[in-house]
Amino acid sequence: MIATLAFYVFAVILLVSASMVVSARNPVHSVLFLILTFFNAAALFLLAGAEFLAMILVIVYVGAVAVLFLFVVMMLDVNFAQLREGFQRYLPVGATIGVVLLVELFMVLGGWKFAPEAASLRFAPVTPGVHNTAQLGRLLYTDYFLLFQASGLVLLVAMIGAIVLTLRDKGDGRRQDISRQLARTAADTLVMVDVATGAGMKDVGILRPKVAEPEPVAAAHDHGHGGHH
Amino acid sequence: MTWTAMNWTLAVPELVLACCGMGILVFGVLSKRETFQLCSMLTIGAFLLTGVLVLPGAYGVGYSGLFTSDAFSAFVKLLVLVAAALCVVVSLDYNEHVNLRRFEFPVLMLFCTVGMMLMASASNLMTMYVGTELMSLAIYVLAAFARDELRSAEAGLKYFVLGALASGLMLYGISLVYGFSGSMAFDKLAEALADPASASPGLVVGIVFIVAGLAFKVSAVPFHMWTPDVYEGAPTSITAFLGTAPKVAPMALLVRAMATPFGQLLVQWQQLIVLVSIASMLLGSLAAIGQRNIKRLMAYSSIGHMGYVLIGLAAGSVDGIRGVLIYLVTYVFMNVGTFACILAMRRRGKMLEGISDLAGLGRTDPAMALAFAVFMFGMAGIPPLSGFWGKYFIFSAAVQQGMWTLAVIGVLTSVVGAYYYINIVKVMYFDAPEEAFDPRPASLSFVAAVGGLFTTFFFVFPAPVVAAAEAAAKVLFR
Amino acid sequence: MLFAVAVFAPLLGSIVAGLFGKAIGDRAAQAVTILCMILASICGVSAFVSLVYGGAPAGTVSLGTWLDAGTFHASWALRYDALSAVMVAMVTCVATLIHIYSVGYMSHDSTVWRFFSYLSLFSFAMLMLVTADNLLQLFFGWEGVGLASYLLIGYWYDRPSACAAAIKAFVVNRIGDLGFAVGIALVFVTFGSIDFSTIFAAVGQHQSDTYSVFGTWRAYEVIGILLFIGAMGKSAQLGLHVWLPDAMEGPTPVSALIHAATMVTAGVFLMARFSPVLDYAPGALAFVTFIGGSTALFAATVGCVQNDIKRVIAYSTCSQLGYMFVAAGVGAYQASIFHLLTHAFFKALLFLGAGSVIHAMSDEQDMRKMGGIWKKIPLTYAVMWIGSLALGGVFPFAGYYSKDAILEAAWASETAIGQYGFWCGLLAAGLTAFYSWRLLILTFHGKPRADHHTMEHVHESPAVMTVPLLLLAAGAVVTGFVFHEQLLGEHWQAFWGNSIQIAPTNHVLHAMEEVPGWVALSPSVIGLFGIAVAYLLYMAMPQVPAQLAATFGGVYRFLLNKWYFDELYDAVIVRPYFALSRALWQVGDATIIDGIPNGLATLTTDSTAQVVKIQNGSIAVYAFSMLIGLVFLVSIFLLFR
Repeated sequence: MIATLAFYVFAVILLVSASMVVSARNPVHSVLFLILTFFNAAALFLLAGAEFLAMILVIVYVGAVAVLFLFVVMMLDVNFAQLREGFQRYLPVGATIGVVLLVELFMVLGGWKFAPEAASLRFAPVTPGVHNTAQLGRLLYTDYFLLFQASGLVLLVAMIGAIVLTLRDKGDGRRQDISRQLARTAADTLVMVDVATGAGMKDVGILRPKVAEPEPVAAAHDHGHGGHH
Repeated sequence: MTWTAMNWTLAVPELVLACCGMGILVFGVLSKRETFQLCSMLTIGAFLLTGVLVLPGAYGVGYSGLFTSDAFSAFVKLLVLVAAALCVVVSLDYNEHVNLRRFEFPVLMLFCTVGMMLMASASNLMTMYVGTELMSLAIYVLAAFARDELRSAEAGLKYFVLGALASGLMLYGISLVYGFSGSMAFDKLAEALADPASASPGLVVGIVFIVAGLAFKVSAVPFHMWTPDVYEGAPTSITAFLGTAPKVAPMALLVRAMATPFGQLLVQWQQLIVLVSIASMLLGSLAAIGQRNIKRLMAYSSIGHMGYVLIGLAAGSVDGIRGVLIYLVTYVFMNVGTFACILAMRRRGKMLEGISDLAGLGRTDPAMALAFAVFMFGMAGIPPLSGFWGKYFIFSAAVQQGMWTLAVIGVLTSVVGAYYYINIVKVMYFDAPEEAFDPRPASLSFVAAVGGLFTTFFFVFPAPVVAAAEAAAKVLFR
Repeated sequence: MLFAVAVFAPLLGSIVAGLFGKAIGDRAAQAVTILCMILASICGVSAFVSLVYGGAPAGTVSLGTWLDAGTFHASWALRYDALSAVMVAMVTCVATLIHIYSVGYMSHDSTVWRFFSYLSLFSFAMLMLVTADNLLQLFFGWEGVGLASYLLIGYWYDRPSACAAAIKAFVVNRIGDLGFAVGIALVFVTFGSIDFSTIFAAVGQHQSDTYSVFGTWRAYEVIGILLFIGAMGKSAQLGLHVWLPDAMEGPTPVSALIHAATMVTAGVFLMARFSPVLDYAPGALAFVTFIGGSTALFAATVGCVQNDIKRVIAYSTCSQLGYMFVAAGVGAYQASIFHLLTHAFFKALLFLGAGSVIHAMSDEQDMRKMGGIWKKIPLTYAVMWIGSLALGGVFPFAGYYSKDAILEAAWASETAIGQYGFWCGLLAAGLTAFYSWRLLILTFHGKPRADHHTMEHVHESPAVMTVPLLLLAAGAVVTGFVFHEQLLGEHWQAFWGNSIQIAPTNHVLHAMEEVPGWVALSPSVIGLFGIAVAYLLYMAMPQVPAQLAATFGGVYRFLLNKWYFDELYDAVIVRPYFALSRALWQVGDATIIDGIPNGLATLTTDSTAQVVKIQNGSIAVYAFSMLIGLVFLVSIFLLFR
């Protein structure tokens, strides 16, 4: 009874916050609603007896992904008003398609029925005696091992892609060069200047530190990825 | 679940290729020097090694039903490997020339190939999805590889966004199928659908979504919109790649998915494929006519060719699938050869893409003009070139199944299509010559020669390909 | 293995000479092709010897699968049996000699490498034809020799007459090939295979198969007739013979190789190859005999009045081919191949001899402008004598054995059509002797009729031309008595093996031995009579022929104009065809057919513009079009499923 009640509470909050994610005007609010959605989903997992998944959802999605989103949204200066312009322009077409698709899906889903064994499965989601985590582990590392490996490759490719597309060669940016830092002495950078008492900036002028730039910036041009012209 | 049931040895080619990829990646990262050429060579070597491993044909089902190795998958894998290897060869000189000499390039092509091999062997909707994603993700990156060039970055982004949409559609379809049938394994699905009457509308709609997702990958109408822009924007060596292996693998996957788990629902998906096929053939032949840019033209051409291939699938018979495979083989060789010629279009160090730039090639570079003409005639389906045989097997399969309309539309559109192919030949041989192109690098000549010889002399020894395709097609209809 | 080398060496030579001829020069191209041909002939002869005398087993040399579509299988394979081995040996030898001869004959040409490449290509195609293991491969060779013949007839493509002759040869052959192709299809329908071994093994099972078109026929008869139509085209038999005389526009070595020794005999070869089937098709065989006999006589009559030296020999070839078909038609396939063999040598000899004469006479081909040159070119004169003796069937030259055998077989067949073949052949034998000596006398004897400028230049050909002549002359002398007993004697099966299978009812070869004495003797007698007449008319009383021509003007013109065949075809086929074509061109093509595509083209370019319009680069548009497409497909699905 309490479980049912809790299910409906969490489910309702989840749906509401999910719709708020797409409809909130302020993107920061959207992300916050997204976090709320994740929390509720985790709660639903808990109710279903999948405590491992619930924890993972909180740790990974809330702890990492959503926070990352939040950072990105806050750091990027996205003009949402401009984005919405396009949204409004395509609204009529989009809405029509959406409605038609929705109607069709309703027609389709009308024929849906639970599998006969689903009712019993629903209340005993775990095989008795086998730990939840162990079961997931078996699925991941034995049954779907191939997919696990392949997903690893997908991530690897994503990583390579991110590096290839964004990482600039050395020379484009400033990096820490520890050996150079250590080799540096005060004499290289500091100049002792005798300043007459009372003489202001007007007399001395602004003194710049000596800049030792061993690598010419021009080297960057060789490695630029100009593409074809 | 015991280790023997894993049968992981079936996936040795994939494993070896992936390990080679990681090895090359590590080597490239650690190496101080510029290693593009070396890594490309290593990648080609890895492809060859994998091809050798595929050849012995260890057949069976592995990874608790996720992975199937049979004559069909072996056929597709070999084709994909050959295509990918040729594309790496093609990229050697071009990437050097346009400052894309980075070792990640061949590595990404290699991982893309792993994904395609996985697709060829997929016997579970999840394997299908993961394989497709592995392939697509690598291609997205490759399309945007010339990141400082606006066209390329735009191509990559466009392809990525639309590809994500298509993946979403496919995933949704998979979930519908799973929800309505209770399984994602191909053999279980086939069992569950043994009686077509039991198929609920939800499941059938799920199939539509899956078809939509895969149709996007093979750029069939109406999921083709990305093709011209991406073909034009991507670095040309990647455009060459796009037209070959990444068309073969999704098409093979589509064929397997339609024939094996949903084989009993032939009448349900047949009309779908027929519609997509007709639309692709029409658009492919009509829209290409007005093009001035050869890469865009090849994009529309590929849409049209995929339309023809889909005829074979629509026929839904062993002969039809055999036709699909034969067509893909001939298409890969023609396409890679054509792009080898396109990549050789360079005048005073500047890459050219206009059809008019080919003017008078027949006089300035007869060998290249001849090769180009062979490919164009082949694509137009002029006998006895290989393109004709591909079309012949496809159309005859359609006619056998009584699909006259489809065959007739196919023939008519190939006549229209012949117009723009032959127009290129006309430009090369009858227009006033322009200045000669720069000397061709040996790698491009090699690939053009391979493609040209295959296209020209396919009719002399078609039997091995036809027999292998027939064996592969029969596997799906056991 | 030797066999495969014999077949493919000419191809190698052809490719090298054809692709690199310009680069490596004429000398090297000649050297390569000739070396390849010599290699081929050594291999061909040794393959022949080891099969027939060395006891090597017959079989097939498999080269790979060609087509494998459903129940239709065709492979690349060389059939190695007595029939193909003897043909390979003959073709390679004659072709080699003609290659060598051509070095001298074509020495003044500007694209010698092209000529040699074509010549080798032809040799390869001919070898493919004779070694084919199935009908499709045979057809490949068949078309290959057709192509090479086209290229070589039109070798001097700057002469309009050569181009016209090449096209004529090609088109007329097409008509025959149509019959052949349909025949192949019918063989496949009947036997379910086009492999010779499969077909011949199943001959017994399909005896009573019928085929219905315009009435019901026995399938074997229809197959026989269709294949023979193909043979008629290639071997220039009456009706489809019109291309052969015109084909003399090609260089003379070509005439010798293609239009005398090898290609034109392909039809005869086809008959022999298909002997197991044909022997059960008496109707078709009767037709073959009829056409063969008629051709033999017809061509001989025309040959008597021609004035162009090469045309005389061309009609002679036509006539001799008729003989071979008579032999095939009465079931004596061995005799037809025997005559093919001897004919290859003496006819090649005659053509090359004629070439030598033409060479000596500064490219003059009209016999009326020759004469009185026998002392100046004694060697050519001698070999022309040998060739004529062999052609005329004088003992003991090669033609005597083979021609006698054919006539005896025709008589021995004891059918009405066999009698027809016999009498036609007998008459033709007399005429053959007549025109052969007419040629000899007009060309070499009498008063010189050429201008003195030409006469001063008359000279014997160089050794590179005369040596092949001598070798061929030796062949023309000896092939008859060397092979006579082996090919036709009591133990013919020891030679032929299974390559020629005849029905158990076919006893022609045996009956030949028992014909009445006068039948065996008559060809020689009538041949000598023909020689005597020729001597009388052209040597003793050279003014008589002109008077005769004036007296019997009608007959003379009828013969001179080749029985008006060309005119008949022109009136019945060519002109109506042109009229129809013109009507179709102006009404059908220009207005209707061009109108539709022009309209379609406009429509297409318009629709292109429309189609491309939505390709505007916007991701949103692209995504929406995808979704619209999806919704459309789902709707169709739900509505029509």
